Amino acid sequence: MSTQKNPNDGNVFLIDMTKCTGCRGCQVACKQWNQLEAEKTEFFSGEGYQNPPAMSDKTFTRIKFRDYQKNGQNEFAFYKEMCMHCNEPACASVCPVGAFHKTEEGPVIYNADRCIGCRFCMIACPFGVPKYEWSKAFPLVKKCTGCYSRIKAGMKPACATACPTAISYGPRHEMIKEAERRLTMYPDRYLKTVYGKEEAGGTSVMYLTALPFDELGFKKVTLRPLPGYTWQALRLVPSVFLTVGGGLSALSWINHRKERLSRLRDEEAENTETKEDK
Amino acid sequence: MTAARYVINEIKGYHRFIKFLIFLVVASALASLVRFVFGLGATTNLNDTYPWGLWISFDVVTAVPLAAGAFTLGAIVHCFHIKKLEPLVRPAIVTGFLGYSLVCVGLLLDLGQPQRGWHVLRYWNLHSPMFEVSMCVMAYTTVLFLEFLSPVCEKFGFYLPLRVLRWLEMPLVIAAAAISTLHQSSLGTFFLIAVDKLHNLWYTPVLPLLFWMSAICAGLSIIILEATASHKWMGQPNEGVLLKTLAKILPWALGAYLCVRIGSLVFLSQGPYFDSPALLILFAIEVGIGFVLPLIMLMQSRIRNSDSRRATAAGLVVFGLVLNRFNVSMFGMMHGDKIYFPSFIESVVTIGIIAAHVLFFVLLAKYFPIFEHHPETVDYSLPDRFQKVGAVGARH
Ligand code: SF4
Ligand code: SF4
Ligand code: SF4
Repeated sequence: MSTQKNPNDGNVFLIDMTKCTGCRGCQVACKQWNQLEAEKTEFFSGEGYQNPPAMSDKTFTRIKFRDYQKNGQNEFAFYKEMCMHCNEPACASVCPVGAFHKTEEGPVIYNADRCIGCRFCMIACPFGVPKYEWSKAFPLVKKCTGCYSRIKAGMKPACATACPTAISYGPRHEMIKEAERRLTMYPDRYLKTVYGKEEAGGTSVMYLTALPFDELGFKKVTLRPLPGYTWQALRLVPSVFLTVGGGLSALSWINHRKERLSRLRDEEAENTETKEDK
Repeated sequence: MTAARYVINEIKGYHRFIKFLIFLVVASALASLVRFVFGLGATTNLNDTYPWGLWISFDVVTAVPLAAGAFTLGAIVHCFHIKKLEPLVRPAIVTGFLGYSLVCVGLLLDLGQPQRGWHVLRYWNLHSPMFEVSMCVMAYTTVLFLEFLSPVCEKFGFYLPLRVLRWLEMPLVIAAAAISTLHQSSLGTFFLIAVDKLHNLWYTPVLPLLFWMSAICAGLSIIILEATASHKWMGQPNEGVLLKTLAKILPWALGAYLCVRIGSLVFLSQGPYFDSPALLILFAIEVGIGFVLPLIMLMQSRIRNSDSRRATAAGLVVFGLVLNRFNVSMFGMMHGDKIYFPSFIESVVTIGIIAAHVLFFVLLAKYFPIFEHHPETVDYSLPDRFQKVGAVGARH
């Protein structure tokens, strides 16, 4: 599942939402790099000014808009939605054929040749990231690739390259240090936490924001790595199998033996009776 | 030609109800063709918010526990040695085999890439509950098939395989119980990953245990229902005396289940229970009508001894189980204003799968010795022409 020795060595995104201008350059860059089809959308559909209304098999990342009031002035806040590239990804742990895996470099990548299309990854992902090709007869799953091919070639992800202000990309421990530096330097500017540092056991995408996370549309997720939730039951499988199998074997052996003995006893009783008759 | 005419004549002679079932099955086969031509998005109401719908909730998550009668009864009869229940075993095995075969059909329809289903055998992921369930379902369908071969061999007088099957009986019964325990519970493990998604009324770390225990309750109830129905409508012998014994075991299973269920609600679950009135009502109906009421009913011998009231109680348990599986896999996962509702095609396919189950069961019972099975009457000895083979076997 996870080939990574230390998640802090992999590369992560540090996305500073207070610096985001909502230009959606990342959205465009992602579409271009991944050769994704355009989607027909309407302005003012859904919650805000955001477009398209949700991530999909054709949209791996998206800027969410939220307007709010600050000192009597209208302000915008933004949130870049994408795969979080969890350190211990739920999508990888539930996939029956192991189509997802966490790479050493950081991204969680998908092997389309293995996928059987059961959609368990979509149920499992706490951030609702994997999307399905609903329009196809034989659909596959789609999600942000973390631009793995670019990383392999020594480049940064397309969205991080395109972003003029908000996205930094680098080793996890450095990015955490940088995030904490900003939090201490500008305490008034930020909410005092780094989203993604501990969420779902730590992710390779981390956010700094001014507004509370849930108001921006961040999902509230457990801090425990998700694969542990199922593994605590699944690890019992071999012992349950042996207990039930062994227990029932023993039980039936005892019961059969009891029956055999009582039959023998009956026969003996009959034999003695017949002898006595003589 | 004559064979075809024979088949047609045979079908013409069927009861109207059977013809109706055949119609439903054909309709559902056509509907599933539509799915493969136009894709899942166009034919179902599934979307990225609700990637699992009726086909997973009913055809897999509910159908598997409903087919649990085979392993439960097998263990009761052969391991706990309550031999008098043996005449019920064979119908249960046939139900189980049909049930699991249809689970496989439902699953293949739901997969995006059904032609790759075998990938599960090639790329193992031991951390995936779905992997575990798939392996178990394949293994168990094989076991059920072997058990199901007995009436077939009897019908055609294949003595040698009959002997082998007879010899395999105990190992198969034990394998069936062990494998079933694993996958019945692992179906519950599926939803352990849905932390923060599945509502607290159902999310509990002991969900796998609860799934296994409720499967046993439902398996026993289905046997009661099935035997009552086939006595009433198919002219099969009345097994009331045996069902009374089963009805005595059932309240124990129900009671144990409710203890664990309530215990887990009190001690293990976290977070609010009362935040969604709709879910609370579903929960109350499920637990109250589906589990508590039949428990109270079956504790009274008056009800256990009456064929129709016993069947009513068993029917309530089945209702409770179905609602439970839907609550866990569908209703409890819904949040906010977005609601999933199965599409016409999804419903037609599922109805067809249920119809196929009943239809095949009726037809099998018509042509194979399923109810007439009384083990002491079957001749397992080899006829003369087999003596040589038998002798060779004996020397080893
Ligand atoms: S955010 Fe979801 S899809 Fe992305 S790695 Fe984590 S679990 Fe997988
Ligand atoms: S849909 Fe594909 S990637 Fe997702 S869990 Fe199923 S097999 Fe794995
Ligand atoms: S990392 Fe690549 S695939 Fe992911 S959102 Fe950015 S550009 Fe798109």
